[in-house]
Amino acid sequence: MNITRRSFIKSLALNSAVVAAATVFPGISFGAWKETDILSGGIQWKKTPCRFCGTGCGLLVGISGDRAVAVKGDPNCTVNKGLCCVKGYHSVQILYGKDRIKKALVRKNDTLVEVPLKEALDLVAEKMKETIKSHGKDAVSIYGSGQWSIPDGYAASKLFKGCIGTNNVEANARLCMASAVTGCLTSFGLDEPMGCYEDIDNADVFVTWGNNMAEMHPVLFSRMLANRKSKTHVKIIDFATRTTRSSQAADKSILFKPQTDLAVANAICYEIIRNKWVNWSFVKKHVSFHKGKTNIGYGTQDHFKFKDKAETVDFKEYKEFLKDYTPEKVEKISGVSAKDIKYMASLYGDPGKKVTSFWTMGMNQHTRGTWINNLVYNIHLLTGKISTPGNSPFSLTGQPSACGTVREVGTLTHKLPHGVVMQEKARKLAAKIWQVPVENIDPKPTYHTVEMFRALDRGDIRFMWIQVTNPMVTMPNLRRYRDGAKKEGRFMVVSEIYPTPTSDVADVVLPSALWIEREGFFGNSERRTQHNEQIVPTPGDTMCNTWQLIEVARRLGFKKQFPWSRKTYIEDIWNEYIQFHDNPKHRMAPYKELKARSGIQWPFVNGMETKWRYNAKYDPACKQKDFHFYGKPDNRAWIWLRPYELPAESPDSEYPFWLNTGRVLEHWHTGSMTRRVPILHKAVPESYVEINSDDADRLGITNGSKVKISSRRGSIVMKASINGRGRPPRGMVFVPFFDESYLINEVTLDAFCPISKQPDYKKCAVKVERA
Amino acid sequence: MMEKPNHKEKQKVGRVFLVFAGICLLAIPFVVLSALNYEPKESKAALVETQSQDFDQNGKSIFENYDRISRDYLKGTSTERTLGEYYSRRQYVGSPPFIPHKVEEADEAQVECLACHARGGWTEELRRNTPLTPHPEQVACRQCHVRMTTDKLFVVNNWMSLPPPRLGRSDLPGAPPPIPHDLQMRGDCIACHVGPGAVTTIRVEHPSRGNCRQCHVPDSYAEPFQRKPNF
Repeated sequence: MNITRRSFIKSLALNSAVVAAATVFPGISFGAWKETDILSGGIQWKKTPCRFCGTGCGLLVGISGDRAVAVKGDPNCTVNKGLCCVKGYHSVQILYGKDRIKKALVRKNDTLVEVPLKEALDLVAEKMKETIKSHGKDAVSIYGSGQWSIPDGYAASKLFKGCIGTNNVEANARLCMASAVTGCLTSFGLDEPMGCYEDIDNADVFVTWGNNMAEMHPVLFSRMLANRKSKTHVKIIDFATRTTRSSQAADKSILFKPQTDLAVANAICYEIIRNKWVNWSFVKKHVSFHKGKTNIGYGTQDHFKFKDKAETVDFKEYKEFLKDYTPEKVEKISGVSAKDIKYMASLYGDPGKKVTSFWTMGMNQHTRGTWINNLVYNIHLLTGKISTPGNSPFSLTGQPSACGTVREVGTLTHKLPHGVVMQEKARKLAAKIWQVPVENIDPKPTYHTVEMFRALDRGDIRFMWIQVTNPMVTMPNLRRYRDGAKKEGRFMVVSEIYPTPTSDVADVVLPSALWIEREGFFGNSERRTQHNEQIVPTPGDTMCNTWQLIEVARRLGFKKQFPWSRKTYIEDIWNEYIQFHDNPKHRMAPYKELKARSGIQWPFVNGMETKWRYNAKYDPACKQKDFHFYGKPDNRAWIWLRPYELPAESPDSEYPFWLNTGRVLEHWHTGSMTRRVPILHKAVPESYVEINSDDADRLGITNGSKVKISSRRGSIVMKASINGRGRPPRGMVFVPFFDESYLINEVTLDAFCPISKQPDYKKCAVKVERA
Repeated sequence: MMEKPNHKEKQKVGRVFLVFAGICLLAIPFVVLSALNYEPKESKAALVETQSQDFDQNGKSIFENYDRISRDYLKGTSTERTLGEYYSRRQYVGSPPFIPHKVEEADEAQVECLACHARGGWTEELRRNTPLTPHPEQVACRQCHVRMTTDKLFVVNNWMSLPPPRLGRSDLPGAPPPIPHDLQMRGDCIACHVGPGAVTTIRVEHPSRGNCRQCHVPDSYAEPFQRKPNF
């Protein structure tokens, strides 16, 4: 670096700032932070997507020397236009927790000891070979994440599915958006939302379905409030099972009993038809009607199998089906008044209003998750309020690359980067791009996440490599799966940045480079791919997850498939990966463009982003006038007849409360990063149980007193929060899951949606007592 | 002949002076106290309606806001807020400060941070002048500003950042100092540099001049200008 005289003087001046301040104000320490050596130069701002949720805010990270020292919102990023949330503003502090894992660890005599990284990688490869030899290829598995950078997931899929030949590839996104995927696939034939965040600026009405956006997607929530503030007529309806900050900011808060969203959605459609609000010109041209199997189970037993079967029906049958869902009948099931149901229907039905529906875990973590996704699409399809600015059924994701890495790269057991393993055409394409024999790719999916951990417990899986996720906090019915992972004859490899309950059960811990310590890509909720360059050096022996996979792949003998150089491998992988999506329905932007811009939406065709899919005005893949739902063979979007069915477990006399779990604004997922950020930890230092004040009175529980929550699977003792940030109705308690000292998932149930295989973390029956 | 009355007059003048001095001495604490407790009659600032990124996109609303602020508010002073306190609530220069006072989750209503922080003025409950937010168009305040509930950490963090900028860095003696901080979400100068809620050391001495950016320009780490002749 050239140090000119002027910049040197300037540096000196800044350097002496603290000294000067201390002289003027003796005894006052300036700043709540340690100051860096300022001679390293000024501050440089570098762009990156945020590390946390699926919103995908653009950040500018301030770099001084080799350290990240500040954050501001990236004004060039259309997602957040310069605004962040408290996690984003303090995100860079996750790099500097004192207990950062910087060396490889190997379990010797039951303790993890530091070893050279090479030794650890050798051991991983050796164990994999050994396990494949002794127990077959389907005894090794990888469990990744929606926080995997795109090249991580791609390398994992190529190694396991293409080279080793096992479909034992899953990711924690199965726990977070699998129902959104199956919802999109069953209704439209193609995954991911048709709209984009610009819908937020254009809608007249927002309905949030079981979605506390004020805490979970705060930047998008602010964008919604800004729209409401700039106009006089915009309404926000919060449709939820408990009262939250989002309910407080909404124009109307409507509470429903858990699981009954299925009935209410059908009742809204019943009202739309009864009041003749159906957009017939749209429905006749673009919609077809279907029904599937009913009484489909909950998957709580091992080896559970389910396959839906679609049957085409007509509008008459659909209308007949809805007769069970009059507002008056549904009022009795759901606790939502017929008046409120009619009000919601009138908002959706009004041809003059543009309506956007938002949802995340409330609808996805649901034993009928696929169904409720279908049912909300039904409302938008009946009224034709879809794929146009402001009219948008919009499933938001929880992780920064749940879309980018899990949905698009296809890091799920049945998926390939393009298509599914069951299709010969998809296997052929993958084999060609991956340069492997087509027979390598197994046409049979193996285990979805819950079943994968059950297989580990049973011993069908012997080796598991976990990257960028913390299943020993997040798996439902946790105790079984933790005991399983600790069994004799299991080998657990964990790529981590900090010690967690998952690294506690590891046989090998590989130290990972984090976020801006390596180059990569994320993909957010609105089909936006976002590149980040490496902007700070990797500490100690830490290594990018992609490169860890490449090192092991080469040790297994797959040098030909993993030939890249350390300097350009991220770019090379991108160029290889996008061959899978080289068609107008999914084309990705080239590396150079992504590097230069703050995110680009796919399909990226002829240098243009596609903001609204299936709409001929915006989507070059459309071959019809106005709309074209090209994902389904009949070129139509599908309305599904999905009934209301009971949840897997409901409160009874022995376990009389609903248990609902989720997040808080300050912490992200299991808190392994955010709890190491001083301001976030100090704001919410520990988990708690929210309980209704009437229930608390009845049980003699006071604010802050100890409460025991037990289910048929486990119990936990924690402090009560009464009239706090969230307020459950009578008969429900809510527990945030970020705190590893209070493992609420030992209490939750591992029931899942039989179609998506996504577990329901929002509903199980518990007993609540004073502890 | 002339000496006596002269002497008497001198004595009278001296006595008057003594009484006056006494009154002054007695009055000083009251004056100081009343200055400290200064509560202007109309200490309300107006709301900036829209503000996205920087002054140049928001100049109009910033000027309108300035117009609406009463003279009393502009002149208002207090010494209760210091720079040390200001930075102790931040993790780096420009980070959103935490909430230093008690806040309740409002019952069935939005938490009204802006009721005080958009308009400023004296708060009886906290016995302080309220600082103004430079971005009152953002209404989901607690998306970025959180309240601390403990002092303890989960794990120590080796976080470091740059020192705060030195004050008064004029290039020439007496020249207007440049703006040493980023302007994103902080482009409305009067919110932080004027009035009784402002930090004493960064309050301007000439609050009645509204066109701040006429003299104060953003400072950045640009390399010195060098000509690159085109031949």
